[in-house]
Amino acid sequence: MKLVFYGGGDAEENRTLDSKLLSLIKNQKEPIITFIPACGHDSDEYFNDIVDQYSSLGVSRILRLNIDQPFSEFMKDSIFLSDIIHLGGGNTYYFLKHLKKSGMLQGIKDWALKGGILCGLSAGAIIMTPRIDTAGFPEFDKDDNEENIKNLNSMKLVNFDFFPHYRNSKRYDEALRKYSLGNSAPVYACPDGVGIIVEGEEVRFVGKVACFYEGKKHFINK
Amino acid sequence: MALAKKVKQQDFYKRFDQLDGSHPFKKVLPEGFVDYPARIRKGGKVSYFNFTLAKEMGLIPADHDGKITPELEAKILQTFSIQIINEFDQEQERKFPEADMKSGTYMATRYLQLQHDNKQGKTSGDGRSVWNGQVKYRSKVWDISSGGTGATKLSPATSKFGRYFETGDPTISYGCGYAEVDEGFATAILSRVFNQNNYSTERSLAIIEFKNNISINIRAHRNLIRPSHMFLYLKQDDHQSLKSIVDYYIERQRESEVWKDCPQNYRKYDFFLNQIKDTFAKLSARFEDDYIFCWLDWDGDNILMDGGIIDYGSVRQFGLCHYEYRYDDVERFSTNLYEQKTKAKYIVQTFAQVVNYIRTKEKGSITDFANHEVLNSFEDVYENQKDLNLLHRLGLSERKVKQVQKRDPKLVENLRKSFSYFEKMKTKKGEVKISDGKTWDAIFNMRDLLRELPQAFMLSDSNLVAEQFVEIMTSSLASKEDLEINSYKKQKIEEFQKLYKDIIKKTAKIFQETEKKTLLDISRRSQVINKPNRITGDATTFIINEILKKRKELSNEKINNLLNALEATQNLNPDHKVKFPQKYPEGILNKFMEIIEEHREGI
Repeated sequence: MKLVFYGGGDAEENRTLDSKLLSLIKNQKEPIITFIPACGHDSDEYFNDIVDQYSSLGVSRILRLNIDQPFSEFMKDSIFLSDIIHLGGGNTYYFLKHLKKSGMLQGIKDWALKGGILCGLSAGAIIMTPRIDTAGFPEFDKDDNEENIKNLNSMKLVNFDFFPHYRNSKRYDEALRKYSLGNSAPVYACPDGVGIIVEGEEVRFVGKVACFYEGKKHFINK
Repeated sequence: MALAKKVKQQDFYKRFDQLDGSHPFKKVLPEGFVDYPARIRKGGKVSYFNFTLAKEMGLIPADHDGKITPELEAKILQTFSIQIINEFDQEQERKFPEADMKSGTYMATRYLQLQHDNKQGKTSGDGRSVWNGQVKYRSKVWDISSGGTGATKLSPATSKFGRYFETGDPTISYGCGYAEVDEGFATAILSRVFNQNNYSTERSLAIIEFKNNISINIRAHRNLIRPSHMFLYLKQDDHQSLKSIVDYYIERQRESEVWKDCPQNYRKYDFFLNQIKDTFAKLSARFEDDYIFCWLDWDGDNILMDGGIIDYGSVRQFGLCHYEYRYDDVERFSTNLYEQKTKAKYIVQTFAQVVNYIRTKEKGSITDFANHEVLNSFEDVYENQKDLNLLHRLGLSERKVKQVQKRDPKLVENLRKSFSYFEKMKTKKGEVKISDGKTWDAIFNMRDLLRELPQAFMLSDSNLVAEQFVEIMTSSLASKEDLEINSYKKQKIEEFQKLYKDIIKKTAKIFQETEKKTLLDISRRSQVINKPNRITGDATTFIINEILKKRKELSNEKINNLLNALEATQNLNPDHKVKFPQKYPEGILNKFMEIIEEHREGI
């Protein structure tokens, strides 16, 4: 299993993570990347950015699948021929709802477990964890759970929680400490441009990651 | 202080005051309209106001926020909430308080309409609308008219029954002079979508709502003259009026710099005819390829001179190529998607007759112009536009479209034939009756195919097998029988894929880039152009029902935000950067998106 968690940010901020992501591909010749946005309706510009981002790294086979819009069975099956599936950022609840509704949540999970390289940015990264609770706080910077989705269970590909767009501030820390007290797994909080690479049993941190566990905070890669 | 603020706000909206019923057309063609005094109609509220358009027109300052303040609402109502004092009122000698009377008079223009018994346009025209006037802002001129301002004597009802009707007379529907809120929203929604996607169209400026679903719907366009405004004088052999209105139109086009190169002398009529031919040839090609149904007919009604869409009552955007659809207008069925071209061509033929009449003062028969050279040119422009449209739909940029079409027209023509084979396939079920007409369903969703095929070719250099190819484009309207793959269909599938790949190769070669890069670019663009959830006429109807159902809980600001967001989801232009007001479709917008998805392959 190969996973890359992005804390957020643009292509420039994520240059290091991107090159590490591409280095995970065994067959480097003409890799295929499929981008799955959290929401298809506003993803045209986002996809343009993704194309620019990966094209600049030499990738020319970049697909997109809007899971909240109609697509063919052919496309549904075909994305699993990709070398990398990239889960985009956006509203985590909306994303999870449509991943489940389209039947893609389990499909992508199975594909990742069989060795497919899965990466996610912000909401897309949270989706790879056991549950998406971290999308619901802090109060001042949370995703709206518009449809009041109660089952927050997600891919469960790792045994930690992920918190994107982290800022080293009292307000964030308070919320994360509080959450970690009632949580058995650690929460890794990544600012934009910072991330985590999981390769089999090995977990590597790229940039300065904050870990919240049992109400305490410590930094990894100080 | 309060007074200063009030003065400032009045200043803010002073351009509305230009809209007092005056219009240069009145001087150009005194016989071309019926002028009505009007009074303020009370009890209305502004349900919708198009801030973007109002800013373009200079009616409100560019930095105005998206809120209808009490001052703005008062100004809108004062300007547009009017009802004409019609012939019925005058016969009854009805008196209205002086304070309610508008100072100006408002014209209902005369134009030809096929639904009137008099086929010379002597009785027809604006039956329930009047022109509010004209505004000029930053070298742009805008005509504004309002529907639902009262029954005029140009309505079909007066012509049919030979008497005048009271505005709002419940015994007649079409002809009572009122408009309805749902019509207003249909125009607001579809005109925003079409305008965004570079169609010329009337644009909804505001909706003023009254009790019982009644409304005044205000619309604007750079020039609201229709072919039918000219054709009636042709039919009436009125050379002077015909020349006056054609000259007026040409001068306006020249002044607004749309026709910068228009000659000053008599050759301006050739220029005029050429422009009309280009407009209508390109338009009919585009209507076909975008599956837009707009009931064109010999009277030149339902369309503006520049090909702008007007009167959204029967306008639809189909999800698939439902070219057999016909609207049932009680007394007749409409044209269908492909017959629009014949009608557009006939309109051009009529203009050839118009121009000849103006020049020679002798009116030839319309049949004399059946072989006019402009019609050959019409065909050329139309065919060329069809090629360009297909390459655009594939996802090629404008620059690439032009070059590929120029360098290998035969290849494009072959691809078009092959594409058309699938696009026109209909269900074996045959013709079916539907709520507003009849149709015969198409079975393949070509927009889905054009969106997914480049992705499939990115995955593998091999062609798709026939079953995969068919699965991608299968619509929800197709039955198992419709999808049977015989050897001929297999051959056509292979042929299409080969031609498609040849286009990729050709493009890559012309632009000296790798085929992979060409394909990626096409794929990226095609996903915007052929997005799966494109609004249809059916979807529009259901969306409006949803708005009306939730009307009480929706402020006009909320409605405006919703329509802004809805418009953003409907952008089909890959070169246009769209600002999304919502990060994801929540609340009612989410409901709208569900409706659009459910009806995406419908009428």
